[in-house]
Amino acid sequence: MRRTIRTAALTAILLLPLVISAPADWGALTSAQPAPSYTYRGTVRAVNARAGTLELITGVGMSLRLVRMTTAATTRLVATGAAPRVGDLKPGDVVRAECRRTAAGLVADRIEKVAVGAP
Amino acid sequence: MTRPWVTAALLLLAVGCQRPVKPGDPLPGLSRAEHDRFDRGKVVFDSVFTPETGLGPLFNATGCGECHENPAGGRGDEVEVHATAFHAPVCDPLAQEGGPVIQQHTTPALKQALGIDQEPFPPSATARAMRTSPVIFGRGLLDLVPDSFLLAYADPDDRNHDGVRGRPNRFLDGRIGRFGRKGFVPTLREFNAGAFAAEMSVTNPAQPTEEDVGGKPLPAGVDPAPDPEINQEQLDLTDDFVRFLAPPTPLKLGKDGRHGRDLFSQIGCATCHIPTLRTGYSPVTALSNREFAAYTDLLLHDMGADLADICLGLATPADFRTEPLLDLRGAEHFLHDGRATTLEQAIELHGGEGSGARDRFKALPAAERAALIAFLKSL
Repeated sequence: MRRTIRTAALTAILLLPLVISAPADWGALTSAQPAPSYTYRGTVRAVNARAGTLELITGVGMSLRLVRMTTAATTRLVATGAAPRVGDLKPGDVVRAECRRTAAGLVADRIEKVAVGAP
Repeated sequence: MTRPWVTAALLLLAVGCQRPVKPGDPLPGLSRAEHDRFDRGKVVFDSVFTPETGLGPLFNATGCGECHENPAGGRGDEVEVHATAFHAPVCDPLAQEGGPVIQQHTTPALKQALGIDQEPFPPSATARAMRTSPVIFGRGLLDLVPDSFLLAYADPDDRNHDGVRGRPNRFLDGRIGRFGRKGFVPTLREFNAGAFAAEMSVTNPAQPTEEDVGGKPLPAGVDPAPDPEINQEQLDLTDDFVRFLAPPTPLKLGKDGRHGRDLFSQIGCATCHIPTLRTGYSPVTALSNREFAAYTDLLLHDMGADLADICLGLATPADFRTEPLLDLRGAEHFLHDGRATTLEQAIELHGGEGSGARDRFKALPAAERAALIAFLKSL
């Protein structure tokens, strides 16, 4: 009996930090989770600034994939030089794009034009 | 005899008695654990995949060993098809149309669903390339040659006026490439993971998504195995098997062969086919800081219009990465598409930046040409 009490007390002490740090409302937590984010680094295949679309080629080894994403008014473009716009990108540019998946597909939050060394 | 002399004599004896490395052997000096991974990786490499275990629905081969055979890691007689579109200066690898590797087979389920025997050839392609399966010995050593070597050896503006302008290719994300006939892929690990997906359509943790068919989604039910179709351990083991494959020991040279080796340098072959390279650091002792026979500079060179086919990355249709000259004695076909059936033909087909060395080879007396070929056949 004494041993059972001791085990229960020890278990309670060990679990206390978990209980304290647990969110009060699991349902609220899951519904508030941000859309899954993805980062792609690849070469621009096509860009349409007016339509707000960007196609990137990414892949592993010789297995390549096309990634289509849209840009929004809030999409930040980062590059060296004067204030860049999505329309400044061109096929062959190397970029790093941070996106999130929405019901409408991938949306770019931030696109960074990567400087590549001379050949 | 004093003790140092005894030690030196024993060392010389050990070196002299070192067993020659045969094609398919692991690197000498692997630890027991590394050797075990080599053996276990060979099992995955030799596996034959089926649709139920991940093959297809589009594929070129049912396993790594189907193309890299006799022995495992060697060359095969398969020829595959690549396609890209070159709109100078930009190269489109046609990923949206199934490029650049165009699979030549389909599983029965895909054939039944779409009525096709192979992946449709991309309508936007500007060129088609045929590719033989190279030997993959010594690739772990090539993987460890520092990028700084490639950059230091590159001479894109031909500043030394020797007519040779080596330059590194770059992958889609800007990193320096070195693997593949166009030197497109930066690392051996990526090349191996990509090969699972591109050659067998076996998805894996590095490439977890299945390729579509010429830009159209796969029909339902044609890909029964859940993705990824191999796990990280299987991928890592295969990678270690390839990484630990040793370059075979060259044959002992006779007088002619030694003369041929000198001629190889004198007429300029060694400008691109650099005889020895050195690896950087690796936690694998057998790979770390090793000088090895490579006969490549891992750079792109313009090989002339007659050999030109597809672009890839920064490589124009005429650009090819200098092929490492490993296990030439086992080869029956030469060059990237196997069009040459003798070494003499392969040399004579060198154009562009290789034309100077080619012309000097052709100008040699017959006996000296034979000596150079004898040297190449020792590799």
